[in-house]
Amino acid sequence: MDIKKRIKNLLFFHEPQMEKPFILKEDSSSDGRDNSDIEKNKEGSRKKKNEDLLLLKKLEKIKLTDKKEGSDKEEKPDISKQLSENKRVIEERFSIPLNGDLIIRKFDITVKDSVIAAFLIFFDGLVDTKVINDDILQPLMLLSNLDIKSDGENILNYIRSHILPHNQLKEARTHQEVIDEVYFGGCGLYIDGLDTAFTADVKEFPGRSVERPNNELVIRGPQEGFTESLRSNTGLIRKRLMDQKLITENIIIGRRSRTPCSIMYVKDIANDSLVAEVRRRLKSIEVDHIMDTGELEQFIEDDPSLPTPQVMATERPDRVCSMLTEGRVAIVMHGSPFVLVVPVTSNDIMYSAEDQYLRFPYSNLLRIIRILALLMSLLLPAIFLAITNYHHEMIPTDLLLAILSAREKVPFPSVVEVFLMEISFELIREAGIRIPGPIGPTLGIIGALILGQAAVEANIVSPILIIVVAVTGLGSFAIPNFSAGFAFRILRFGFIILSAISGFLGITVGLVLMGLWMVNAKSFGVPFVSPVAPRTSGGFSDAVLKSPVWKQEKRPDYMNAKKGRKQPHISRRWINRDVDSNKSDSEDNNG
Amino acid sequence: MARGKLLVIFLMLAIICPVMTSCFDAKEVDDMGFVIALGLDKGKTNALRMTLQIAKPMAGDNGGGGGKDDGLPYAQFSVEAPSIYSGLNMINTSASKQISLTHIKVVVFSSELAREGLGPYLHAMVRGREFRPNMPIVVARNTAEEYLESVDPKLVVNATKYYELVYQSYKYTGLIPKVEFHDFYLSSESLCKNPVAILGNTAKFQSVDEFDLKDSTYLEHGRSSPFEGDFYAGDIPALGGSRSENIGLAVFDGDRMVGELDGTNTTFHLLCTGDFVHSYWNVPDPLSEGHYVLLDIKQSRKPRHHVEIVEGKPVIHLTFNLEGDLLSVQSTIDYEAGDNSMILESAVESYIIDQLLQYLDKTVNEFQSDICGFGTHARGLFTTWAEWEAYQWKSKYKDATFTVDVNFKVRRPGLILRSKSSVTSESGSDTQ
Repeated sequence: MDIKKRIKNLLFFHEPQMEKPFILKEDSSSDGRDNSDIEKNKEGSRKKKNEDLLLLKKLEKIKLTDKKEGSDKEEKPDISKQLSENKRVIEERFSIPLNGDLIIRKFDITVKDSVIAAFLIFFDGLVDTKVINDDILQPLMLLSNLDIKSDGENILNYIRSHILPHNQLKEARTHQEVIDEVYFGGCGLYIDGLDTAFTADVKEFPGRSVERPNNELVIRGPQEGFTESLRSNTGLIRKRLMDQKLITENIIIGRRSRTPCSIMYVKDIANDSLVAEVRRRLKSIEVDHIMDTGELEQFIEDDPSLPTPQVMATERPDRVCSMLTEGRVAIVMHGSPFVLVVPVTSNDIMYSAEDQYLRFPYSNLLRIIRILALLMSLLLPAIFLAITNYHHEMIPTDLLLAILSAREKVPFPSVVEVFLMEISFELIREAGIRIPGPIGPTLGIIGALILGQAAVEANIVSPILIIVVAVTGLGSFAIPNFSAGFAFRILRFGFIILSAISGFLGITVGLVLMGLWMVNAKSFGVPFVSPVAPRTSGGFSDAVLKSPVWKQEKRPDYMNAKKGRKQPHISRRWINRDVDSNKSDSEDNNG
Repeated sequence: MARGKLLVIFLMLAIICPVMTSCFDAKEVDDMGFVIALGLDKGKTNALRMTLQIAKPMAGDNGGGGGKDDGLPYAQFSVEAPSIYSGLNMINTSASKQISLTHIKVVVFSSELAREGLGPYLHAMVRGREFRPNMPIVVARNTAEEYLESVDPKLVVNATKYYELVYQSYKYTGLIPKVEFHDFYLSSESLCKNPVAILGNTAKFQSVDEFDLKDSTYLEHGRSSPFEGDFYAGDIPALGGSRSENIGLAVFDGDRMVGELDGTNTTFHLLCTGDFVHSYWNVPDPLSEGHYVLLDIKQSRKPRHHVEIVEGKPVIHLTFNLEGDLLSVQSTIDYEAGDNSMILESAVESYIIDQLLQYLDKTVNEFQSDICGFGTHARGLFTTWAEWEAYQWKSKYKDATFTVDVNFKVRRPGLILRSKSSVTSESGSDTQ
């Protein structure tokens, strides 16, 4: 009976027990409200100032500081007025003297006749020592005409407003704040008699400067790529997307690594519930260390078993910017040159950054080629197998005879042949990546030419199959998204097996199953194959083929952005001779 | 979760099931022998004598002409068997590869077999899913075996290409009919139409010395010397290339062959069915006896058929719209000029009408077979199918009378804008 029950349990439909998944709805008010309330409390005072564009950047920093204070407010202020007590805590927390690269610089601030002890901590190698010397140590130690009143708070203000000329000075009430800053390339300053410490941003990480992106190459378009440092990445985005409402929220991931991350979005475009969901997912991650957005992606994606990526990882700031303007959310992580953008759809992984910069006929050509490349990469070996094993009548007789002659001396069935070549192709590919730089291209040539040629001459594979596998390989490289390329290469093996089992029937079954799988998937609440299924309203002109830039009037409907329209119906106003081009642009934005 | 594990086990079983049964009908290409031509003759010891040409693999290397032993890109097998499929079985006793008919390019029947009726073979071929519906049907005037043996493709590397191309030549010669197996079969069972097949034979001349015209039909057409179409297959005085010749058509009544038509009549057959594309014609010069005007004639519109039944007999009215380019004017008369061109056009029209009526007359009186499918236009005159069946078109066709209308226009004079006789020192005129 038990077995019967079990089988019944297996075969019949059950209402899924899981809790309701996140779905990105048009109306974001219910989801977003709680979040906006919190924000209101946090940032009430600064809201008025927000309008001034020039101050924006500074304000952003201050806001972030405020936020950090807000979010960490559960921690009690634990900095003691006793300098020695603070020093003991710091030494304990940093495992001094085990820790060799932490510098604790003790010094005295001399004021007329009194001497105030102080110490500075920072990590050697993370900071710019010149800044510390010139902007922190020098003023403190040399400015001797300090007029100190007995009130501790006033000293604090006085130091902050008069003595330290450093541009990014924060006050910290807890040791943890100081430690976070120190790990992120700041320095902490403890002064005797104050229960507040100063942290100054003096970071100068060893690392790359901004270079050309290595993997997402374009011919026409910006040539900057992200680097491994958080602030230079957010800076690259902000430099490009000069929008007053661009928000950079800070968030820390990793219980031990405490890796700083930023969530970026355009406040009045991105759907609030989407931002809240991203924030919720990121905050909920419980992990000791996290090193790269590649790991982060796996923590936050909707369906780990889906073959295709559900998060866009890109190293191009311009790509991130254009996606932000569509209402998406970007996640920047310290230490990773790839920025994640969510949500994405199946179309997005077939786009390249260049599409937007080229005139529309050119980018449409590229898109059609890419779709062909995808189909080839996915199906070509399978179709070859199906035809040579099951559907001989489908191909021209001459081709059939050519295949026949080529296969005449090959000892293996064609399935084995295909697997042999596919596996050796993957081998060449993997070896080509792992091999030390200078030898790389040579190996490619050896692998591709010599191996293929020799295999044909040794009658292990047929030459026509080499063509099939080579074209398939080219197809998989033409897919612009690295992860998607992987996905289709894995699925290709599935299709090969299916077609070996039952020809076109197998391929059809595979396509149907894959279709079901994709249609079922969601990326951050957005159906993965939208706008194809579910079909969303018209007007979105970037689905498969692209319309000219001046016709791309709406943001993708599935993003449910706060503002649906990017540009008015007539964005090239000059075509109408009567319109005065100096007229205000503001009305355009209210679409 | 136990449920998850069970699901995995279940899925694995589900995947393994098809794998167990898998590939049972998978066949590697190189395990198959692909028949490219099938010939059927009357057998000596059995009902059928089958001739199969099986493509040889191109031996891997240069692909230049296939097999090395006899230079032919195919191997020929003959077997005597009671039916097509049993013949395949018998051939498989000696051929190493499984015979596949999926790429068959042509089926050749001997006229002896065709005159007895092709019904049983047609049925077998329609039912078998390996036969392509678009393969041409050839009737060989002698034996199919001999016809297939004489195919020695000189101009193309492989035999399949030869077969694919040679039966398409109706598009530019107009000397063979357009025949596809499926149409052939349907016509043979139809109430309103009779099928035709391409007439083929082995060329009878081995050297120039043997050339003669005794089998040519030029006298029948009232000419002093034969035109290109005035031959049956095998009779053309030509050498070189393949020794198989295809010209003319085999007339069927139902599934039974009743006669042959030469190349000239085949051209008019194509005109009547609307399958004519273009070809070069010699037309007697209306103004200069003994000379010809060469025209490249095209069908500018499909012909219009109008069928009436007057006193129980079919009266068929045909309208043709043709146009032509001047290729050569042997008499150097200025046919490009207005009046002359009118003369030429009306002469061509009356020539075509004359020839067409001769052809139609043959179909009515000699073969009594509606191979042009006029019956399809007659069907509409009957209100019910039963009436149409009762009328028995095929038996009434012999009483048909025809009126023919031809509109012919000369469109282009070629690259010569004005014909002029050449000037020699004696100031005499030269032809062409």
